[in-house]
Amino acid sequence: MRQYLAQRIALIPVTLFVVSLLTFILAQLVPGDVGRTILGPYATNSQVHALDQRLGYNLPVLQRYWHWATGFVSGNWGVSPVLQVPIRPLVMSRLGNSLLLAATAFVIVVPISVTLGVVAGVREGSRTDRAISLVGLALLGLPEFVGATVLIVVFGVTLAWLPVTAQAPPGSGLLTRLHYLVLPAIPLVFVLFGYISRTARSGTIETSNAQFLRTARLKGIPRRAVLTHHLLPNALLPTVTVIGFQVGYLIAGLTVIEELFNYPGLGQLLISSATDHDLPTLADITMLVAIIFLVANVLADASYALLNPRIRARRAR
Amino acid sequence: MPDDLDLGEYGHHLVDELMARRLSRRDVLQRATVVGLGIPTISALLGSRAGAAGLRPAVSGAAPQPKAGGTLQVASDAPVAAVDPVTMYDGGSINVVQQVAEYLAWVNPDNTLRPVLASSWKPNAKGDVWTFQIRNGVKFSNGAPLSADDVVATFQRLVNPASGSSAATNFKGVLGVSGVQKTGEYEVTFALERPFVDFPYAVASTNYNAVVLPKSYDGDFAKSPVGTGPFVLTAYETGVSATFKRNPVYWDAPKPYLDGVTFTFFNPNAVPAQEAALQTGAVDVYQSAPSTGSPLWHDPNIALPTLPSSYYGEFWFRTDTPPWTDARVRQAVAYALDRPAIISNIFSGRATVGNDEVFAPAFPGSPVLPQRSQDIAKAKQLLAAAGLGRGFSATLTTEGPGIFSQYATLVQSYVAQIGIDLSLNVESTSTFYGSGSNQPWLTVPVGIVDWAARATPEQLYQSAYTTGGIWNSSKWADPTFDKLASEYEATVDQASRAALAKQLATVQQEATPAVIAWWKDAVYSIWKKVHNLEPNGSYFLDLTATWLE
Repeated sequence: MRQYLAQRIALIPVTLFVVSLLTFILAQLVPGDVGRTILGPYATNSQVHALDQRLGYNLPVLQRYWHWATGFVSGNWGVSPVLQVPIRPLVMSRLGNSLLLAATAFVIVVPISVTLGVVAGVREGSRTDRAISLVGLALLGLPEFVGATVLIVVFGVTLAWLPVTAQAPPGSGLLTRLHYLVLPAIPLVFVLFGYISRTARSGTIETSNAQFLRTARLKGIPRRAVLTHHLLPNALLPTVTVIGFQVGYLIAGLTVIEELFNYPGLGQLLISSATDHDLPTLADITMLVAIIFLVANVLADASYALLNPRIRARRAR
Repeated sequence: MPDDLDLGEYGHHLVDELMARRLSRRDVLQRATVVGLGIPTISALLGSRAGAAGLRPAVSGAAPQPKAGGTLQVASDAPVAAVDPVTMYDGGSINVVQQVAEYLAWVNPDNTLRPVLASSWKPNAKGDVWTFQIRNGVKFSNGAPLSADDVVATFQRLVNPASGSSAATNFKGVLGVSGVQKTGEYEVTFALERPFVDFPYAVASTNYNAVVLPKSYDGDFAKSPVGTGPFVLTAYETGVSATFKRNPVYWDAPKPYLDGVTFTFFNPNAVPAQEAALQTGAVDVYQSAPSTGSPLWHDPNIALPTLPSSYYGEFWFRTDTPPWTDARVRQAVAYALDRPAIISNIFSGRATVGNDEVFAPAFPGSPVLPQRSQDIAKAKQLLAAAGLGRGFSATLTTEGPGIFSQYATLVQSYVAQIGIDLSLNVESTSTFYGSGSNQPWLTVPVGIVDWAARATPEQLYQSAYTTGGIWNSSKWADPTFDKLASEYEATVDQASRAALAKQLATVQQEATPAVIAWWKDAVYSIWKKVHNLEPNGSYFLDLTATWLE
């Protein structure tokens, strides 16, 4: 297992290299260019060309790639040619926003969906199980923007319980910021509930039928202890992996939610840097997201290893 | 100067035209403000002479007394790039700059000019030399006084193509760098390359890059947002928000009435987010009409001030590409459209019917030609006469999603009735405008492109319909039109101007290089507690006199 993890970690730089190169090459396919973004549709071609040249956009792609890559690695991310602000603080502040929203959604969804998933699994085939599974499936099929729009109309506009914009006024404390994030977090909870509860349910069912569990029950271990000491640690292993996989989505894939709630997260910046030909910003965000993805997956694998008694046992030997 | 236009005489000429009923009161006011006759002067003339003729000035009801204080919350488009007044072109950047910096003159909703940093101006008799008096006692937000040097530097910067400003295009053939001269401590003279009777509009708000900046402006507006405007930019977070505080040394005290303004930036396409923010009171102002079916249309808290404007969708045909080379084919399409139905469908009725020529009803003094309306039989006849009685297929390119793709879909169904099989190619805005050699809006045979409102018809036809005009999508080239156009721009006499306008409109309508089916109204959605906030055809935001209840 240790060797496997070491391999996974060693592969990270290779993956990042491929991702960054692809980002640079694919970005060339987006129509228009950076000079046109800055000067607008009514500037003349020669004005646009002059600006492109000043910004170094006429250099070959690979040369620009090298310039960017060395800067990225050394931590010198430079200034966005379009927005004219240092890229690193901009991206980091957006990452902070995204993390806060992701954390809010996580804190709500993980306990609820794991608990309900296990309950459904333990009472497989019961009415409770059917209800939980049905809700999970229905929410899974509900597109984010539909759920979000309904929530905005009901809780934001009609009942006026919660703010409809996710960004708290400048200078707000953490509690106020969280208050603004409740509504946008719910559609994410909807999306994730289905995944997580279904995995927890099937893990529970599978483990319940395992030999060792029958032995434990026959041994006369109290029901509660069977559940907490024997069933859950085994049943939740796949769930941990599934949760790990969702981290990347939660941090950089929330474009729709960010737009509906006007939240300045990483997703919005990613899209605008792509459409505006802000290549250094686009590449920096892509790398950051790729790193988060890779690290989250490695961590999920590692925690799988830590939780899995069989793997633990193998290590002990 | 001895050859100056005699303003007194010109004023009387305008009033004569009014009394002969060749000009409306609105036209007289507009013309008067353009040549630099102040509203008080012309009103006095109107009062003394027109009053006797029974043409009284309109009396407005007593306006409520403005209240000072409060912070206005505005939903604004996020600036596309770093804000730079010299190169900006997008609504978000323009919004930010217009709170902080000012023009020589502001174009009012009725297209009259309000002197701002120029206290007055006047042309010579020929209309090719314009002298502007710069207001005394105005200070920039950094404490430096405004002088003629700043104004000269501002316009020399703009007319120089190296600045990257698209305003350079607006001045091409009109004003060169050497034409901007300081002729006194507070006087600037513009010596034009040709007579241009509507020149003051080129240095006013409709030429949105023309804000007066300090002579020392170095291109970094974000770092030092210095201007003479009613507000001072105190915080700016890229893509998130901008915060403004009242400028305590504003020259036109007691304005502004607001203590401050906050912009929350939105992605322009995020319509539901902006409407929800307005509806719940998170913002007070949304610079747009509500979307079709939105509850905001009937919200008792929301006012929807509306202003006819010259914003339009140009539905052009490449006049150099068959089958569109034949004017009858272009006219056939024009007769196939049900214009009122289009307006009710796309704009909930908030637009004026267009007549395939650029003299929008919103422009004072626009000629009135017989209105084109749907006539399928006639359209079919025209196609048959052009040898295309069996119909043909073509591709229409436009940008979407939004009103242009909706319009294109309606067009598609109308022209199908006369046998034209039109397929649609809806591109994203950036692809549609493109870059370099790939700019569909200037190259495809048939398309629809939006034209922001202008203050005068010249600002539309110069670039779109004169031979070789830089944004002439239809490639229409008609020497008669070009000749009439330059005469129109050099004519001071109102009767001749009106006659020329009618000829221009007739020539264009007959040729139909483009269908102009509608002129969209400017509609703002604002909370009723907000006073003195006028909608603007160019979607500008003038908060100088705005106050909160």
